[in-house]
Amino acid sequence: MEPLLRVRDVSTALIGRKSAIQVLTSVDLDIYPGEIIGLVGESGSGKSTLASAILNLLQPPQVLQSGSACLTLPNGEEKDLLALSERELRRLRWQHIAYIPQGSMNVLNPVLTVRRQMTDMLLQHGLREAEALEKARAALQLVNLAPAVLERYPHELSGGMLQRVVIATAVTMAPAIIVADEPTTALDVVTQRLILQELMSIRDTLNTAIVLISHDMGVMAQVADRLAVMYAGRLVELGPIHGVFEEAMHPYTQGLIASIPQHHSERVKALAGEAPTPWNYPGGCRFHPRCPFVMERCAHELPALEMHGPRHWAACHLYESVSAGGEAALTPASAGRGAHE
Amino acid sequence: MSELLLVRGLTKIFGTWSRTHAVDDVSFAIPETPSIVNLVGESGSGKSTISRIILGLEKPTSGTILYKGADVFRQDQAWTQRFHREVQVVFQDPYSAFNPIYKVEHVFNVPIRRFALAANRDEKWAMISESLRAVDLRPEEVLGKYPHQLSGGQRQRVMLARLHLIRPRLIIADEPISMIDASMQASFLNILLDFRDRFGISTLFITHDLSTARYLGGDIIVLYKGRIAEYGGTAAVTGRPQHPYARLLMQSIPVADPRRRWQQSLPAAPEVTTTGTSEQMEQRDRCLFAERCGYVMPACWKSRPQLGRPDGRGAGGDASAAACYLVNPCIDSGGIVAEADLNLDVIASYREAL
Repeated sequence: MEPLLRVRDVSTALIGRKSAIQVLTSVDLDIYPGEIIGLVGESGSGKSTLASAILNLLQPPQVLQSGSACLTLPNGEEKDLLALSERELRRLRWQHIAYIPQGSMNVLNPVLTVRRQMTDMLLQHGLREAEALEKARAALQLVNLAPAVLERYPHELSGGMLQRVVIATAVTMAPAIIVADEPTTALDVVTQRLILQELMSIRDTLNTAIVLISHDMGVMAQVADRLAVMYAGRLVELGPIHGVFEEAMHPYTQGLIASIPQHHSERVKALAGEAPTPWNYPGGCRFHPRCPFVMERCAHELPALEMHGPRHWAACHLYESVSAGGEAALTPASAGRGAHE
Repeated sequence: MSELLLVRGLTKIFGTWSRTHAVDDVSFAIPETPSIVNLVGESGSGKSTISRIILGLEKPTSGTILYKGADVFRQDQAWTQRFHREVQVVFQDPYSAFNPIYKVEHVFNVPIRRFALAANRDEKWAMISESLRAVDLRPEEVLGKYPHQLSGGQRQRVMLARLHLIRPRLIIADEPISMIDASMQASFLNILLDFRDRFGISTLFITHDLSTARYLGGDIIVLYKGRIAEYGGTAAVTGRPQHPYARLLMQSIPVADPRRRWQQSLPAAPEVTTTGTSEQMEQRDRCLFAERCGYVMPACWKSRPQLGRPDGRGAGGDASAAACYLVNPCIDSGGIVAEADLNLDVIASYREAL
């Protein structure tokens, strides 16, 4: 299957008067039609930055250093979102790629009705009033909201309902991709589950690809088809959800999974140390100061993201050395197991 | 068995004209033996109000709080100062808990001075270093720095180091891990467990996350709209929840295992399904979960269900009590519910589903 969105070599930096600090370093990612791909990482790992970069929404002082994000349109045409003019981007946004920003309960304008806010965007895209209203109604139905919600103001709705309105707005034009940044973070668990259900049913009915950003491994395990793990501005692991949970390759992913509190009486192991900020990324592999399997080359060589299993990529020297002919004493299997036991 | 902390009939009503029942007749106990008690509920369930009342930051409308048998609101200054040393707090926001103009050591200097913990400077620094090491922080990593130079996880652990130094009997932890990173959360919880096992410090752990509560163990109190819905041991509440709300919470936890995915979807959004009339919705002598409950019966609208035990306290240990007519149909505030208001078929089908 051909990818819908091909992200290549995306790097961003924070630009100061005299210096530039790199935040994302050469991120590659393919997104396929109809999949839910989870983007997971700690705060400051670059999840939201990657989302804004892909959508060409970076705000100064953060700028794009390099990279492309090629979106395949239904007519087969390819457009690089990072090389388009603002005018062309406006035409593509909502229609082909939609964005649900972080804290989206607060993105609605408090003095306008839901109807006005949902239809404004459709009118911009050249629909007539009646058509726009029809589409807004259909979208609300998709997220289990009554059409009466259209006449309400944001303060009249609960957090879960506001989140549904924002999701409905994102799906009105049936985009091929939705990027959802922490859509359930401020909600209680019951509402969270309902919202995730809505996202899954949208994927099922419209075959939309969803990029779901979250720091919650539980949410990922429940809804994602594939998982992309970020650490300190790098994509460190990418693979099918079962593959990543059952046989995590990168020592960071292993630590992340091992630190999930599951059962009482079974103490989990916490990852030692702290994640670095862009101001103090270590040289070489950015995880090496915390890594239990650190080798000499990790301190000065940044590992590339390479395939080491079926549809399973990792950026770690442990696996490279083995595939290069097994010069390291540590096999990937024993390295992977060791962390759990 | 005597209790370290006993909360009895606690009620807090905010507002004069429109009355908001933040906490409505809540009773629970923290035992004398070092233990962890989890207070679980969604935002607005009253869990933070309860913690603020225990700490003396808020006066209850009615009800009492007994610490080692003494009513905390009727004591002299000396007793209150001792109470404030023995009962300490960790707040949710590690960013606003520090005064930004002081360096990190300030949070240690204040209690050392106030409670006269150290005899001289050397002893003071030795104590601070030991406490920081107890929470996996290197003293040189945090001392001499300002709060904004530390990460959220580091700040929250500095707060724990402060507690290690003070050695309270009870920690009130109000959502302490919701603002720190996933990989740091586990270490924070492990430190609380260590405090219990090594220093005999109990914790009242306030959270919206049942899975964290399950990890910590001890008793769980599930709050809904200011009332206790279910009260019991961790294994009972998380393994076999009795109250429909507790069941809903358990079903909604995203289990971090892709092999154990949610099977069928939850029924439609609770906001839009309202079965009560407006008069029924307004009165409070009823089950407050009735409008969201799939097993609602006439009795649920007529009087407030009580927890299954006559003393109003939960069962604890490996059993649990629920304030629900489906589980204990004969107990309510007045005595016995009219049998006509119970739907025996609904009760039977609910018990079967348990």
